[in-house]
Amino acid sequence: MIAIDHIHKAFGATQVLKGVSLEVAAGEVVCLIGPSGSGKSTVLRCINGLESYDSGTITIHGQTVDVRRSDIHCLRTRVGMVFQRFNLFPHRTVLENVMEGPVFVKGESRAEARQHAQALLEKVGLAEKQTAYPTQLSGGQQQRVAIARALAMRPEAILFDEPTSALDPELVGDVLTVMRDLAAEGMTMVVVTHEMSFAREVADRVCFLHGGQIVEEGPASRVLSEPRNARTQDFLRRVLDH
Amino acid sequence: MAYADIAAFFPILLKGAVVTVQITLGALLLSTVLGLLLALMKRSPLTPVSALAGTFINVIRGLPIIVQLFYIYFVIPELGIDLSAFQASIIGLGIAYSAYQAENFRAGIEAVDSGQIEAAKSIGMKSALIMRRVVLPQAIRIALPPYGNTAVMILKDSSLASTITVAEMTRAGQLIAASTFQNTTVYTMVALMYLALSLPLIFGVNRLERFFAKSRQGADQ
Repeated sequence: MIAIDHIHKAFGATQVLKGVSLEVAAGEVVCLIGPSGSGKSTVLRCINGLESYDSGTITIHGQTVDVRRSDIHCLRTRVGMVFQRFNLFPHRTVLENVMEGPVFVKGESRAEARQHAQALLEKVGLAEKQTAYPTQLSGGQQQRVAIARALAMRPEAILFDEPTSALDPELVGDVLTVMRDLAAEGMTMVVVTHEMSFAREVADRVCFLHGGQIVEEGPASRVLSEPRNARTQDFLRRVLDH
Repeated sequence: MAYADIAAFFPILLKGAVVTVQITLGALLLSTVLGLLLALMKRSPLTPVSALAGTFINVIRGLPIIVQLFYIYFVIPELGIDLSAFQASIIGLGIAYSAYQAENFRAGIEAVDSGQIEAAKSIGMKSALIMRRVVLPQAIRIALPPYGNTAVMILKDSSLASTITVAEMTRAGQLIAASTFQNTTVYTMVALMYLALSLPLIFGVNRLERFFAKSRQGADQ
């Protein structure tokens, strides 16, 4: 469904992606792991065109992702994104945050969008918070609203950019539970994460990035338990010791 | 200071005060519309558009407001456009303050977290929609306290309209003082009446500032 073919990307003189290729099939959960600065978030941001890439190609169901093309907006409605810092709209209520895209981008009727939004908030366990503003919620609750906002667009896939990194440890669990449920329902997910236990449990495949390249990839259990690459071994030793 | 004098002057000054408020509101409205337009132009990716807005803002900020008023009142009619002194004062102050308003709005727009724009893009919003639904509503909150300060400055500078014969409050005071020589009474009254208009505005702005400082604190927790 998502096909990344040899993408390169530089920020000024710094080459952050050096020929990354990755295929994600429909219904698959792929976790991107690696040290900070390895390029994993950049890969994710290239998939929905929040970042442009210098060479190579990314396609979603055969349609090229190109920031300069006018179909980029339409493409983004098909691939949702959840951010590390939630990025909810602070001036709108929880319900309005979830309804925003369906009403103003897709042109759904308010009644229809409200019904769907309420169902999604129920699904992420926040039905009673509809009228609250984001600042009145905990980080974990905000992130679950952000997931509902992404789901409201009825995307074919969702990208998660370190969704639990900004959360207090005791709030991580609820967010991971929602993500686990999504994976079980067959949602296509690409997740940049430091949660190794989540990756081990939920991911179909894990890709380890280092220095702008995927240096190891394979089934989660294999990569995380018996890493073959020295850099993966080193990284996992440091993360798991932590 | 005779009470009879105060009672006699007050209705005349009140008429002036009405004109002062009209000029202030008119100039505030014009400066808001022009300022927002300039702020958006300055952020345009098209260099000629942003350069034009930038040059306009610099020229306007570099000129004394009184010179701008004289220019609009005395020079524009020579080009065949008829303007009353009242109209000229609103246009002059509105243009003069549009430059400051543009900076208020620009600062507000730039203070909106870039993550907000990314989140809006990620649900498929195009730039105009992002501006309308996500950036501007937040930018306006940030820009509201400086906006209030600008309103106070416009109120005070509306007294400059007296120099182009508009019978606002300052001009009304000058006329009374010139004919009665009651300088102390007249100008004390004028000063108090300006304060009666400006102090509520200033207190309102202070409250807004405190409110937004508090709500931002809440957002960080």
